[in-house]
Amino acid sequence: MDYTLDLGAVTRNMGPLMDGLWVTLQLTLAANAIGVIAGFALALLTTSKLAVLRLPAMLFVEFFRCTPAIVQIVWFFYCVPMIFNVFWGPVFMGIVALGLNLTAFNAEAYRASIQAVPREHLDAGIALGLSPTQRVLNIVLPQALRNSVPVLLTNGIGIFQQSALVAIVGVADLMYQGKTLATATYRPIETFTVVALIYLAISYPVGQFVNWLERRQSYS
Amino acid sequence: MGMTLDFSILLLFTDALALGLWTTLRLTLLCIVLGTTLGFVIGLLRSSGNAVVRGLLGLYVELFRGTPVLIQLFWIFFCLPLILGVEFSNFVSATIALTLYMGAITSETFRASLRSVGREQMDACVALGLPRRAQIVNVILPQAVLRAVPTLLSNAVSLFKESALVSAVGMADLMFIGQNISNNTARPVEVLTVVAAIYFVIAFPLTRAVTVVEQKLLRKFSA
Repeated sequence: MDYTLDLGAVTRNMGPLMDGLWVTLQLTLAANAIGVIAGFALALLTTSKLAVLRLPAMLFVEFFRCTPAIVQIVWFFYCVPMIFNVFWGPVFMGIVALGLNLTAFNAEAYRASIQAVPREHLDAGIALGLSPTQRVLNIVLPQALRNSVPVLLTNGIGIFQQSALVAIVGVADLMYQGKTLATATYRPIETFTVVALIYLAISYPVGQFVNWLERRQSYS
Repeated sequence: MGMTLDFSILLLFTDALALGLWTTLRLTLLCIVLGTTLGFVIGLLRSSGNAVVRGLLGLYVELFRGTPVLIQLFWIFFCLPLILGVEFSNFVSATIALTLYMGAITSETFRASLRSVGREQMDACVALGLPRRAQIVNVILPQAVLRAVPTLLSNAVSLFKESALVSAVGMADLMFIGQNISNNTARPVEVLTVVAAIYFVIAFPLTRAVTVVEQKLLRKFSA
């Protein structure tokens, strides 16, 4: 190959990349805050006995699970301003779009762990004369939360990686800054490799932590 | 809101959308087959093989699992030709990128299912005096592959969805054509909603099927 590597092209321009990383982290953290809280509420709705609550909640979950994230994001950025006549900043739009996606995936995680609470525990609750509310709050909730932590974290890193999609609609995240830099310096190899390694440096440790957590939970 | 929706505009573009969908499906199916095969081989090598091979393959798997698929596509589309000094068509580049991604996630599926075959089975093989080859080919592999089926299917559905990313590097798949129509007609609400609906109509039944297969297998293993 007649291409000489010049890492200087990237190291001289770490400023914009770090700005981008900061935007990526903001998107990730805010979307996770939405997903962890709204996901639980949505999971309760999808396990509700009332069809009026259950069906729309399930439709929401299935819509986000069964369409590509990039379609959701492009749809959101083009259509939400037109339909609802609202004009938010790009980062805020990104947070809401990613947050809604994560809400759907987290709801599935919560639902699985709500259903995994052993039947006997609920029977024991009835035998002890606990009210339905007490059974949900003191038996189902603590176990469901604890059991869903690994999947919530996995989904959380998932959204960190998916957040790169907002670069396509012009949000100045890490991916976007990388693309701009690669074009401006004609150094795609160095730039895209460094950008990929930055993503890896964050998702790998979290992934290892999830593995450790899962091993620990499977022993207990 | 001062807008009226007119979905009939899409009737003008059914051929273009069908062509895009065909590209999406062709790419997805090809990468599912190639990626699953690659993942199977890598899963096996990572469960045996020597330490150097295991280390290198581990690096590959972590690289593709730990970075956004979008950057993998950019890397294969823009960097690989520079490194190799060869130009690839869009379709070939997309196939390489998605196959490598699918291979990485699928190898983890196989590795997990190989591990899930109980230790007792191995002990039983030893007690029966089965040769090493028979232990693997007749006892461990069939069980491991069967256990991997639900996750493999859900990996395949994921790949179908991830394939929409190739639109970002200029390949004329369903998403790319949808975005072009949306820009040219200035009717994003109608066009993008229909594009989303097409993906949904394909992915939803498949996702359901995965759940059904999973429950069947669970019953089979618990029986």
